[in-house]
Amino acid sequence: MRELVSNSEALCEFLKNMIIDTLKLEDITVDDIGNDTPLFREGLGLDSLDALELVVAIEKNFNVIIEDENVGKKAFASIKALADFVQEEYTQED
Amino acid sequence: MEFKDKRVIITGGTRGLGRTIAVNFAREGAWVAVSYSSDNSSALDTDAELKRISTQSLTIKADVSSRTSVEEMMSNVLSKWEYVDILVNNAGIIRDKMLLFLNEDDWDRVLDVNLKGTYLCSRAVIKPMIARKSGCIINMTSPSALTGRISQTNYAASKGGVISFTKSLSREIARLGITVNAVCPGVITTNMTEDLDEKTKNDFLQMIPMGRFGDPDDVAGAVLFLASEKARYITGQVLVVDGGLT
Repeated sequence: MRELVSNSEALCEFLKNMIIDTLKLEDITVDDIGNDTPLFREGLGLDSLDALELVVAIEKNFNVIIEDENVGKKAFASIKALADFVQEEYTQED
Repeated sequence: MEFKDKRVIITGGTRGLGRTIAVNFAREGAWVAVSYSSDNSSALDTDAELKRISTQSLTIKADVSSRTSVEEMMSNVLSKWEYVDILVNNAGIIRDKMLLFLNEDDWDRVLDVNLKGTYLCSRAVIKPMIARKSGCIINMTSPSALTGRISQTNYAASKGGVISFTKSLSREIARLGITVNAVCPGVITTNMTEDLDEKTKNDFLQMIPMGRFGDPDDVAGAVLFLASEKARYITGQVLVVDGGLT
């Protein structure tokens, strides 16, 4: 997992797949999600309930806990923001 | 065996209604974890009974009003069982006094155990439930929350809060396959009602259209129903089990 986290491109790809699998987004592929596409509202169209599931998925996959809503909002701004967040927190945990 | 291998936590599950609920789940094949706060004797007794009838059981000392204690309890259960299917927030206390004599500690303690405890325990199981997109939370409330009761401003407020908590949380996580309901037992036969004098007993009985106190199994039946597949489309509701009292 450390190798994956340290590779930004691979991590972004992993996160896209994680979102599609966790939220069962049947009509969306990895190619449909840009690294800077907003995940919520006008972007990918996710909502606050989807965020709950993603918080749990991030904790399960990376052992990174998002306990604060504002931290979550920042982290879930885009795939790039989420990857940066995971890299930062995962490194801190090691 | 309606609940075969379902994993259930019942707070305050070693005495009174909590114990009856625990035993009923165990008889239906569930794995049952019960928490208790201080009564070691009833905990030992319930632990022995659960071990006799259930596939797996745990008896854990915990203070539901303390975040660290709740997290320890849940981590203990989850490390052994991986996830929880059903949480019954049953732990509760009363400190009945007229408002004039109700001090801050009487207020805080009742709110802490009854309302904050429900919040802390629900929060502690919610992640594994979200991950599995499945789960059931049942909160115990009281007719005092619906009609009010003399000397119970603290208790009624805490149980009213439990109803509001139930309704809000149910909306929050309905789409994730998790149901949240409340059960509201009326006057139930327990050691407490057995100690009442004849006049008080009769006064209560006059108010109950069915003319009898409830049996703990009446309440357990409602809890098991809400936790069952039969109730999978029911969420955010308060099921009153009071013989028509309210």
